[in-house]
Amino acid sequence: MEIHELNALSPLRVFDESLGGGLGRGNLGVLVSRHGVGKTACLVHLATDRLLHGEYVIHVSFSGNVEHVINWYKEVFREVAEGRSLDDAATVYNNILSNRVVMNFSQENVTIDKVLSSLETLIRHGSFKADAILFDGYKLTVAAEEDVRKIKEFAQKMNLEVWFSVSPVRSDAVYDKYGVPDSMAKYVDLIDVLIGLVYSEELDKVVMTAVKAPGDIMDKPMGVSLDPKTMLISK
Amino acid sequence: MTDLRHLRNIGISAHIDSGKTTLSERILYYTNKIHTIHEVRGKDGVGATMDSMELERERGITIASAATNVVWKGNEINVIDTPGHVDFTIEVERSLRVLDGAILVLCSVGGVQSQSITVDRQMKRYKVPRIAFVNKCDRTGANPYKVKNQLIEKLGLNALLMQIPIGLEDRLEGVVDLVTMKALYFDAGPNQDQLREAEIPPGLLSEAQEKREELLDGVSLSSDALMEAMLEDAVTEEILVKAIREATINLEMVPVFMGSAYKNKGIPPLLDAVVDYLPNPADVTNVALDLDNDEEEVVLVSDEDLPTVALAFKLEDGQYGQLTYIRVYQGKIRKGDELYNTRTRRKFRVGRLIRMHADTMEDLSEAGCGEIAALFGIDCASGDTFCDPKLNYSMSSMYVPKPVISLAVLPVDKKASDNMAKALNRFTKEDPTFRTFVDPESNQTIIQGMGELHLEVYVERMKREYKALVEVGQPEVAYREAITRRADFVYTHKKQTGGSGQYAKVAGYIEPLVSTGDEGEDVDYEFVDEIKGGTIPTEFIPSCDKGFQLAMKKGTQVGFPIIGVRAVINDGAYHAVDSSDQAFQTAALGAFREAFENAKPVILEPIMKVEVVAPNEFQGSVFASINQRRGVIISSNEDNQVSTVFAEVPLSEMFGYSTVLRSLTQGKGEFTMELGKYGRVPASVTEDLRREYAEKRRQAQK
Repeated sequence: MEIHELNALSPLRVFDESLGGGLGRGNLGVLVSRHGVGKTACLVHLATDRLLHGEYVIHVSFSGNVEHVINWYKEVFREVAEGRSLDDAATVYNNILSNRVVMNFSQENVTIDKVLSSLETLIRHGSFKADAILFDGYKLTVAAEEDVRKIKEFAQKMNLEVWFSVSPVRSDAVYDKYGVPDSMAKYVDLIDVLIGLVYSEELDKVVMTAVKAPGDIMDKPMGVSLDPKTMLISK
Repeated sequence: MTDLRHLRNIGISAHIDSGKTTLSERILYYTNKIHTIHEVRGKDGVGATMDSMELERERGITIASAATNVVWKGNEINVIDTPGHVDFTIEVERSLRVLDGAILVLCSVGGVQSQSITVDRQMKRYKVPRIAFVNKCDRTGANPYKVKNQLIEKLGLNALLMQIPIGLEDRLEGVVDLVTMKALYFDAGPNQDQLREAEIPPGLLSEAQEKREELLDGVSLSSDALMEAMLEDAVTEEILVKAIREATINLEMVPVFMGSAYKNKGIPPLLDAVVDYLPNPADVTNVALDLDNDEEEVVLVSDEDLPTVALAFKLEDGQYGQLTYIRVYQGKIRKGDELYNTRTRRKFRVGRLIRMHADTMEDLSEAGCGEIAALFGIDCASGDTFCDPKLNYSMSSMYVPKPVISLAVLPVDKKASDNMAKALNRFTKEDPTFRTFVDPESNQTIIQGMGELHLEVYVERMKREYKALVEVGQPEVAYREAITRRADFVYTHKKQTGGSGQYAKVAGYIEPLVSTGDEGEDVDYEFVDEIKGGTIPTEFIPSCDKGFQLAMKKGTQVGFPIIGVRAVINDGAYHAVDSSDQAFQTAALGAFREAFENAKPVILEPIMKVEVVAPNEFQGSVFASINQRRGVIISSNEDNQVSTVFAEVPLSEMFGYSTVLRSLTQGKGEFTMELGKYGRVPASVTEDLRREYAEKRRQAQK
């Protein structure tokens, strides 16, 4: 199968459709759940889909281990490519790799100004025309409103999509039925798309719900879920 | 040496600039081998004792691994100083081969860097037990805890703290030993640099207890004896040391020590640790291959009464003549003994046998099992095995990477030319990654190696040690050529004008050979014979194979070897009289060249894995410099001060990068690189390369 066919059949098309056409540039999207539900895989799947469209992606992590992130990409790509028997997968993978940069911040409590300035440095001095930025494990629930506003301004200035994966820091967070913790409430106005992930034992799937999306879509089941085996978004 | 329990062969390996040479120097100092300390980049112009080569002193790097013998508390320790720069990796690998254990030196600020990862991978390959020393704890930003965590995360080692620091950065005073639970200071004696034991400062007691618990928990996982002692609350120093020793030798843990070699902090406990935790020669299993018995593995036993087996791991052409460093694995070597070199199949007699102490030497009458010594005037190459003439063993061959860069060297006059020949002859024996040949087209002498610096060092050594003045050309990248699609061929070679003629016809196709292994050895060539019905007689099939291989030696685009081709023949024709081996070779060669043009050939170039480390404020310049070099930024990592950028950059773009980086970062940035893979040269560059090659050929024909 060729790339464009694979892209057309991708469950990510359903994902975009559920959001009324995708996140869109200049907007912030958030994937939220408890720990260990599969947000990173989900985020990497989103990124891989962008890469397969020939777009440029920056993956921002705070874990201290770049290898892990790179391995996630390898795994997700393998699943996607093998599932659809993509032609010449090794070459495709090598090509998309040059459109992805993993940026890791290993210091604790790095300020958002520092992160954004490094991103801008990469985009301008490194001539890396990013189309999307993914923040993996950013502690959004404890970030100041001001920080989120800065990220939003950055997304608009640079004309790119920004996705976050968020797990609450506090252990006493209360989750609603879509998997969204109460500590997210104060940011709902600042973000454009909020997707809650929650594991349903009944379906043996991670159910995804668009809690907020453009065009006043609220609390809408997404038509896609996470496969608990591969942790990939699937129909 | 009768008791092997008091012998250690250790190496000191690490990232460039993490202070190995300074550490080696301090080890000599504390073991009374030298009485004054010279810094690597000394102000007194004397230089560190271990770097015996003038050049090393000048550049502040360690190139050759000198083996030095020291004595610590009645134990003999052979210290092998290994180079840290990746261009000299073969030296590191070669010394690892003869080590029983190693100290992995890490910078307390820089932590685990790419070089440490490379070195660690090599140590894993040779199963070398190691202890870690977190050096430079006196530097701003020192954090031994972070380094320990990196050992766990990045290298996957079970790293356990053996000490905690008393103060850090400029307030570094000493360390707390978590085994004895004593504070160790280094301020006794006339020079205020000797060990002083004291009680743990009250402020550190609870932390020390907590870390000791962690240590006990970690070690007990691999020691039942310790586990039992812990349950009975009867952990003695003896039980703990024994458990740590066993776990370290079995590669189940890496004890972490710390200090600052430069400030004379932490060296005596490190030497104790070498004796306590690193294996003696009898603890390690070494194997040789029996050449008389289909290379079957034979375990060598550390017994002086058995027939001798020794490995030549290092040649040095020093001020005293040619020295061959050897390690004895089995039996012993005496002056006057007859030994057999299993590679050259020649016997020789042992003349002078010596032991080296950095720059002085001591004559020996014999060298026993496990010992490291040096022989004078033996004609051999490094990696050769010397045996008792009764045996025919070879120590397993070492992994030798292929060179990635070449340089033309032109001697200035006849005398220089003679000297250069001598020098090259020596270097190729010393270093298997260094190669040399004469290019038949340009008639120039070409040297090949693992990087720009690698070759620069040899050019310098030619000048200094051999007085061979040479002019050097532009460094050239070792390109490869490949095909991207299948192409058929039908080719007839015919020459039937008088006398015995030549006739051969071959038909078939060539196609790209996709390597199957993930990161395994790439298969460069495969020959498939699909001839049915004897259209080509069996005796000429190997001729076709030969002809293809000949064609692959030199591609038609830029004259570099072709890789990754499957050549299939499925038809042909022959002539009862005029067909010959030669005719079929020529036909196969012609057929290949013709098909190659139709198979959409591409040029491949070495892509280097580059790691640049620079203070955060220069991140932009680093990104830009990589971008300008057709580089791909793979990832970046930032902490409070330092930004590390990982990228893949074509080797051809990396020439002179060290100078560029220095000026971009006010001298604060550094980089390392190693071969990552071969990648396709982009179309625009391909055109230039082809044009240059065509031009060069035209020039040569004139």
